[in-house]
Amino acid sequence: MNAFRREITFMLSERTVMVLAMIVFCFSSLTLWFGHSAVKNQHASIDRLYVADQEDRLAIVPKLKNWGYSAYYNFHLTYDRPSDFAFVAMGQRDLLPWKHRLRMLALEGQIYERDVANPIFILMGRLDFAFLATFVLPLVLIILLHDIRSSERIAGRYNLLVATAGQGFSLWFVRVSLRSFIIFISLIIPLLIASFFIGVAFKTVLLASVYVFIYTFFWMLLCYWFSSWRLSGSVILVCLIAIWLLLAIIIPAGGRYAIEKTITIPSDADILLHQRETVNDAWDLPKESTMNAFVSRHPELSDHAIVEETFEWKWYYAFQQVGDQETESLSHAYRTGRIKRDYFADLVALLVPPALLERALQKLAETDMLAALAYEDRVRDFHAELRSFYYPKLFPDQPFDKTALDDLPVFNEKTE
Amino acid sequence: MSQLLNIALEEWRYWLRSHLALGGVTLFIILCIITSFLVTQDMYEKEATRTQQQLQAEETFLAQPDRHPHRMVHYGHYVFRTPAPLSLFDPGLDSVTGQSIFLEGHRQNSAMFANASAGAYLGGLSWLTPAMMYQLFAPLLIILFGHAAIIRERESGVLIPLLAQGLKSSRLIAGKALALLLFILILLLPLLPSAAFAMMKGESIRIIVMLFLVYFIYLCIWAALSLLFSAFLQRRSSILTILASIWLVLNLLVPAIAVNVSGYVFPLVGKIEKDLTMQIELRQLSDGHNANDPGFKALQMSLFKQYGVSRIEDLPINFRGQVALSSEKDMAVVLSKYAKGRMADETRQAQLIENHAWLSPIIALASVSRTLSGTDLEHYHRFLRQAENLRFEFIQGLNRAHIKHLSYHDDINRSKNEVSSLKARVDSSNWTVLNKFQFEPAQASIRLAESSYLISLLIVWFLVLLGGLFWSAARLKP
Repeated sequence: MNAFRREITFMLSERTVMVLAMIVFCFSSLTLWFGHSAVKNQHASIDRLYVADQEDRLAIVPKLKNWGYSAYYNFHLTYDRPSDFAFVAMGQRDLLPWKHRLRMLALEGQIYERDVANPIFILMGRLDFAFLATFVLPLVLIILLHDIRSSERIAGRYNLLVATAGQGFSLWFVRVSLRSFIIFISLIIPLLIASFFIGVAFKTVLLASVYVFIYTFFWMLLCYWFSSWRLSGSVILVCLIAIWLLLAIIIPAGGRYAIEKTITIPSDADILLHQRETVNDAWDLPKESTMNAFVSRHPELSDHAIVEETFEWKWYYAFQQVGDQETESLSHAYRTGRIKRDYFADLVALLVPPALLERALQKLAETDMLAALAYEDRVRDFHAELRSFYYPKLFPDQPFDKTALDDLPVFNEKTE
Repeated sequence: MSQLLNIALEEWRYWLRSHLALGGVTLFIILCIITSFLVTQDMYEKEATRTQQQLQAEETFLAQPDRHPHRMVHYGHYVFRTPAPLSLFDPGLDSVTGQSIFLEGHRQNSAMFANASAGAYLGGLSWLTPAMMYQLFAPLLIILFGHAAIIRERESGVLIPLLAQGLKSSRLIAGKALALLLFILILLLPLLPSAAFAMMKGESIRIIVMLFLVYFIYLCIWAALSLLFSAFLQRRSSILTILASIWLVLNLLVPAIAVNVSGYVFPLVGKIEKDLTMQIELRQLSDGHNANDPGFKALQMSLFKQYGVSRIEDLPINFRGQVALSSEKDMAVVLSKYAKGRMADETRQAQLIENHAWLSPIIALASVSRTLSGTDLEHYHRFLRQAENLRFEFIQGLNRAHIKHLSYHDDINRSKNEVSSLKARVDSSNWTVLNKFQFEPAQASIRLAESSYLISLLIVWFLVLLGGLFWSAARLKP
């Protein structure tokens, strides 16, 4: 116990350690503050959109003459609010869309619209807490721990220290652990405070802290092991940085490349073109063929699927839906391909701790690929709801009733 | 001179004996070759498929049967962005921006499907390109090679006799710098094949030479930093630690903070939100599908005057086509205003990031590298603008065909029955109003001019460090 207390006093008196801990503490607070302000921005953006969307719909109402026009001119806002924990890891929210404005036209032509961040932001990446913990924390540990023994050797204290501490193992291990722990604490305390004030679920914060703790432990062990080599501090430092490069950049890049080459997905152009072509071609196709394809999905409307005029709204919406039906297999393959890639990314991440930690934090923050896909599914559900609202009015040619528009489906923020 | 060479040679001999240094370089060169190969292959593939898709889209458009011209306005067209030749070195924004746009009447669609949105996410740094190898990794190698240059002589006790024998300390540092310069040149060698491929694809030699120069200056900045610390500090191990920390701050932290600051100082208002305001403005315009819209009264009157008639039916041209033409023009003004606004906002954010280049040279270098390669934000905007030009031209071409080749009588009776709807068509030879589309980066001189500010900034970085180096050389104490 005495040795332990001695190490604590020693560490507290070491300037480098305390300065680095302070820097980590400041950066951690800074990233959380930036993250929080980005999340606030997204909320504000959704709130503004929500109001503008309502106003837009009110402005449209006088223009509407029938159900067809109503479905054509009424846009609907869908959105995915950032979770309480999103300020820790903005994840895919800069890259993948979290807001749409849709109408009852073919969904495949609308759902891939991306109203996202500046591409430069996506390329360079933000400094969020996840980035700090994943990439910067290990380097700080490496810088702090690599010469823990060699520096004592140079200072000529090594033998003395080992002799007075009794057991050689525990001395260095205690020293390494204490230093890692203070860095970990400096990183995590701002997170705990911020989470407390924001009201993040206890379990989420606890999990995140445990992840970061295990991650710190991993790098600590690595540094501990390397630092026991009887080599100069410089060599150890270079080796540790090389390992960092390997784990943080090279292996993930290779894994990413391999996954994207082996798991192919339909090309973007195919989905886009196919969808447009089917909708476009429908104008020239015999109307019965469109209506037959439509009725195959909506047998309950088969009595109302006869089109006599050169233009009827129900035919128009029928071919919009048939356009979706025709693209279904491609779109499905695109979706499953993305899920599969994500799944394999999970597997590769098991081998590379940095990717594992970043993905885990993004999962907790619900800013990962799967969260974006879940939002996409909710958009699809909502679009289907729109159809089931309009079809029973549109197809039997029910008289237009503006008051019924009060019952228009509303997008559910979250379905638990 | 021979003294200088001797010092440099001696440094090289020392490096050649170091397994660590040699291992590092070998690894770097192998990685460079692999990434260059993969990225080049990827770029060739993309170019082939997108050119093919573009041709196919053009063929499909031209192969459309006789139709009502406004049907073709809604039928629309696609453009694909072929990668710039140098994207085999620095793909820049290619993977995070959409590469295809659907063009149609009355709307400006956004570029959809960025490759990265379907990617396997393995961490924020998992995009390895040759450019990134030089931006991130090469400085580490230079630190590894350069940090010991002076301190080694000091620690082994050679520095005192060297200086006592009359060797000028500036000479010593110049010799070490020479060794590092040679090393940097060798590091740049793996880029030659990429450069050759880019030139075969038609890239200008001026751009390639400039690209080499910029990366050379950037690496020289790191060499100067390493020598500076090597001359100043007293302990070898702390030099390496400090240089590694500087690398961490300059290359990882500052760029990411710059992104945060830019987004904080100037948040981008999303497209959907802007579009809502735009819709309000568009609704003020007259409805181009409705020739009876009172907004077209003035147009009608001027045409009556021009042709000396008093009824729409008597006009020698199709009034509905004329309405479509003028309405598309009015709409395009509003659409372009908003598109330009969006681009200006994005450029503003990019500039806010670039302002941080005074804090970290990698920001300047990465930006210059993208600009020279034709893969920066400006080139993405260029693609959007070219697509919009093409859209406007072929839509108006179709509207002109509507005016000239479709009689007003046939036009208004088009929905009466099958026969009349068949009559309301124009010949498919009119579809040739569509021009060919081929995206090409801006001219070499434009790209050079655009990057000149940041290049000079890099030179300033270099000169300041060089000055510092010579200043410290004069004060080199044993």
